[in-house]
Amino acid sequence: MTKTINITLKIWRQKTAQDKGGFETCHASGISTDMSFLEMLDVVNEQLTLDGKEPVSFDSDCREGICGQCGAVVNGRPHGPEKATTLCQLHMRHFKDGDVLAIEPFRAKAFKVVRDLIVDRSPLDKLIQAGGYVSTNTGGAPDANSVPIPKDIADKAMDAAACIGCGACVAACPNAAAMLFVSAKISHLALLPQGKPEAAKRAMSMVCTMDELGFGNCTNERECEAECPKEISIVNIARMNREFFKSAFFSAVM
Amino acid sequence: MLESRTPGGPLADKWDRHQFELKLVNPANKRKFEIIVVGSGLGGGAAAASLAELGYNVKCFCIQDSPRRAHSIAAQGGINAAKNYQNDGDSIWRLFYDTIKGGDFRARESNVYRLAQLSVNIIDQCVAQGVPFAREYGGLLANRSFGGAQVSRTFYARGQTGQQLLLGAYSALSRQIAIGKVTMFPRREMLDLVMVNGQARGIVARNLITGEMENHAADAVVLATGGYGNVFFLSTNAMSSNVTATYRAYKKGALFGNPCFTQIHPTCIPVHGSYQSKLTLMSESLRNDGRVWVPKTPGDTRAPDQIPESERDYYLENKYPSFGNLVPRDVASRNAKEQCDLGKGVGETGLAVYLDFRDAIKRDGKDVIGQKYGNLFQMYEKITAQNPYEIPMMIYPAVHYTMGGLWVDYNLMSNIPGLFVLGEANFSDHGANRLGASALMQGLADGYFIIPYTIGGYLAGTSLPKISSSAPEFQAARKEAGSRIHKMMAINGNRTVDDFHKQLGKIMWDYCGMSRNDEGLSKARIMIQELRSEFWKNVRVPGTDGDLNQSLERAGRVADFLEFSELMIIDALTRRESCGGHFNEAFQTDENEARRDDENFCHVSTWEYAGDAQEPVFHKEPLEFENVHLTQRSYK
Amino acid sequence: MNWLVKTLGSSIGKKLLMALTGLSFCGFLAGHLAGNLFIYGGRDAFNAYAEHLQSLRPLLTLAEAGLVLFALIHVMTGLLLFYQNWTARPDRYAVNKTAGGRTIGSATMPYTGVILLLFIIFHLFHFTFVDKTNQTIFDIVLISFQNPLYVTLYIVVMLIAAIHVSHGFWSAFQTVGLNHPKYMPLIQGLSLAFSIVVAAGFGFIPVYMSLMA
Repeated sequence: MTKTINITLKIWRQKTAQDKGGFETCHASGISTDMSFLEMLDVVNEQLTLDGKEPVSFDSDCREGICGQCGAVVNGRPHGPEKATTLCQLHMRHFKDGDVLAIEPFRAKAFKVVRDLIVDRSPLDKLIQAGGYVSTNTGGAPDANSVPIPKDIADKAMDAAACIGCGACVAACPNAAAMLFVSAKISHLALLPQGKPEAAKRAMSMVCTMDELGFGNCTNERECEAECPKEISIVNIARMNREFFKSAFFSAVM
Repeated sequence: MLESRTPGGPLADKWDRHQFELKLVNPANKRKFEIIVVGSGLGGGAAAASLAELGYNVKCFCIQDSPRRAHSIAAQGGINAAKNYQNDGDSIWRLFYDTIKGGDFRARESNVYRLAQLSVNIIDQCVAQGVPFAREYGGLLANRSFGGAQVSRTFYARGQTGQQLLLGAYSALSRQIAIGKVTMFPRREMLDLVMVNGQARGIVARNLITGEMENHAADAVVLATGGYGNVFFLSTNAMSSNVTATYRAYKKGALFGNPCFTQIHPTCIPVHGSYQSKLTLMSESLRNDGRVWVPKTPGDTRAPDQIPESERDYYLENKYPSFGNLVPRDVASRNAKEQCDLGKGVGETGLAVYLDFRDAIKRDGKDVIGQKYGNLFQMYEKITAQNPYEIPMMIYPAVHYTMGGLWVDYNLMSNIPGLFVLGEANFSDHGANRLGASALMQGLADGYFIIPYTIGGYLAGTSLPKISSSAPEFQAARKEAGSRIHKMMAINGNRTVDDFHKQLGKIMWDYCGMSRNDEGLSKARIMIQELRSEFWKNVRVPGTDGDLNQSLERAGRVADFLEFSELMIIDALTRRESCGGHFNEAFQTDENEARRDDENFCHVSTWEYAGDAQEPVFHKEPLEFENVHLTQRSYK
Repeated sequence: MNWLVKTLGSSIGKKLLMALTGLSFCGFLAGHLAGNLFIYGGRDAFNAYAEHLQSLRPLLTLAEAGLVLFALIHVMTGLLLFYQNWTARPDRYAVNKTAGGRTIGSATMPYTGVILLLFIIFHLFHFTFVDKTNQTIFDIVLISFQNPLYVTLYIVVMLIAAIHVSHGFWSAFQTVGLNHPKYMPLIQGLSLAFSIVVAAGFGFIPVYMSLMA
């Protein structure tokens, strides 16, 4: 049933990347439990604006859990406390009247805070640029059915490809590692026949780029998997490791 | 003025012939050309990647933090292609015909036929990129029937087809970024088009992080900036979807085609409060098994399971016995509105109808239904906290897609030389109504397979003197964009940007939505004018323009919506017929269906900007149908 | 050999080093525990086992050298990873909460690791580098464990070792890429079983010895 609740927010405010930043407290009152978390922030922002203050900057776009642009850490949990849910799909009915919520940006050396809750996730783009593609130019593709792909392989590839690139895995990882993100792409393409020709090159290049960008190392804590809004499995990390070892020890890739 | 440049000859040979007739750019010369692509969705992303592969230097701009977030990503259902892999009688011609007919005969034959031809190449291309389409156990591609099509031609990747296709284009784009052939400019918003000597030669963009204005010069500009559904505030579009890029081009002389054609999707989760920021679409595939109904008696507030079978009105099945719940989107939407207008709507707001799976579950079992729609049911439950296995879903139509857009010729070039428009941003191959699973097809056909050829034809055949991005035309555009920003910031009024946007949205939804009439449209026009003038006196944009300021970003977009919405209304008032996404109550059959007027309105309406205080100038491109016979759509 | 340095120096390469050396230590632990079981055979059995081990000297030296090398790799890489992982998030969260992925083992690896290192050094000085001219190893152990402090220390450290191993064991399989939906539950079960064996096997010896005395 729809109710209204009042909650207290401790929101991270930071004007620029260089600014030190800190928490500011504000109150969200009369919040309908049918609101999404971001709609609650919209309401807070409208009030801040009318009060002559600057609204909280936060990222969002599709608001249906697929574009991966939203994300913040709510009481220590990236995308909030619900499993398999992005922040935009988190509803206020999961909170209680009187709750105090600390809202922080995703934190990692590789993700600089841009403003308030907005972080720079361009390192994830750089990772894809390092090899997260099949080198095929437009045109010249053979008929789509010329290479049959077993259903379970296609399904596994899809499981990995479901990644929305939100960066919650990095935010959740105690080591700020991007292993789940990178492994999802390496797995997706290594599983498919179309991606195999470049698999060795891709694995080496993406892993080395990941290290250069300042992400941490994996210690198999599984927080990424538990926090991933698309429930991508660490089976992909194991597959990435295999692909990396194949590349390092059994291929001509230097 | 409106030269469609459609090549002659038989329909099936037009594109081949046209490709041959287009001038080619010598491979060594391609690297001398700069091309700007605004937008990184299926159209823009595919275009930027393909043009860079050919050797052009591309600058690609996107409003989000990464090109992978473009709203193409949200398409769920699938992509059509005339592969006929299912041996069920599909063909290029059938896809062409379905698309033309579905669009209520308001699209250009030659473009639609080309789209159907290219659909097969798209699937090949995407599979080669590693798009994990659904497959059969034998390893071949799976298809489903979608959106009422009578053949199974829709390729899909679970409920995330748009995402996977976009990530395919994004990966191709990323490869070109890594090579250095594409320079990516994320978090940039195009604020104006720059014309030099009558040619589109660049843009002025705002860096959304630093607030800095940037001039970018090029030999051609490609806009792939999506649709303008957010003029309604509530739509299934993303938060940042807007009309600014195309509207600014319109103000620079580009013609806007059919702005009143908007698609209202029938199966969305109903609005539940004034705080709501967007609407969520539930895939149309739900209508394959779900039955739509409302209580027979208006004002019946009983819970759905308390309403006996005899008191339920399965209005779609009753009215359209042969198509039933699978009637096209516009028909389904209008009927839902009609039922709610009669007071038979359900839910707290009375603005919803039931989509009931009770009988399907009884027939096929919960498991089978769960396999087909489990993820959608889950999504629904997440948002509404109701379990569709037990309580019928509630749905209501929502703005989903805009068929109108900048007018383009067969080359996808607007009337401004050098300004190309792709995907939803152009006035589209979908006529007055788009069929399901066709938007992805069009975006990718435009980006991968059309623009790479046609832009070459333009560049090879046009004299393009070198220009600098500090040319006076750039400075003027930049100054103008800057002064608009300063003006907005200086108002410091009492109402927020969203407040204005919501009010505009309500006006548009009430008077220029699913069902329109002259009186309402005229009233809405005045309301918009008043709202616009209030906006420029009373809006409050906090913060500064020298850094990241989301209120300012939105204010600029809403300011443009406030002007553009009037153009939609003018267009709606001018089209004296009902067709597809435009339903004027004065033009309906005895059975309340849209009544087209092929004699007088079989044309694309386009509008030319004539000044802020002037009525836009009307131009029309007559649509000639040489290969199909115009019929009244009937789904009875 | 540049490629080898590059490979082993990468994040996954370092993980590989940790996994392989860690797994070797698991093997060593199993061997050590098996040897220790002779203690239940009484003084003569245990001393005979120790002497037999010593008689394999050249081989034993090689094994010892290997262990030292592996320990160096495991410790140095571990410390490097700890440092890198710490600095990968220079600004920490104000609120930390797990989503359920972490275990006590995984969350405490660096700390349990350091404790184990200190313990091993202590343990070597306690039982290995001692003058055995006048007393046998059995007596040394027997006398030591008459001190309840030693008994407690050994039991606590063995619990810590078990915690370390509970994560390290399955984690090593994951790292080398051996994660399969069919076998991973088994490996994780083995991981838990092995850590219990370590805790109980090693941990009971001090208790047994103190009771015997």
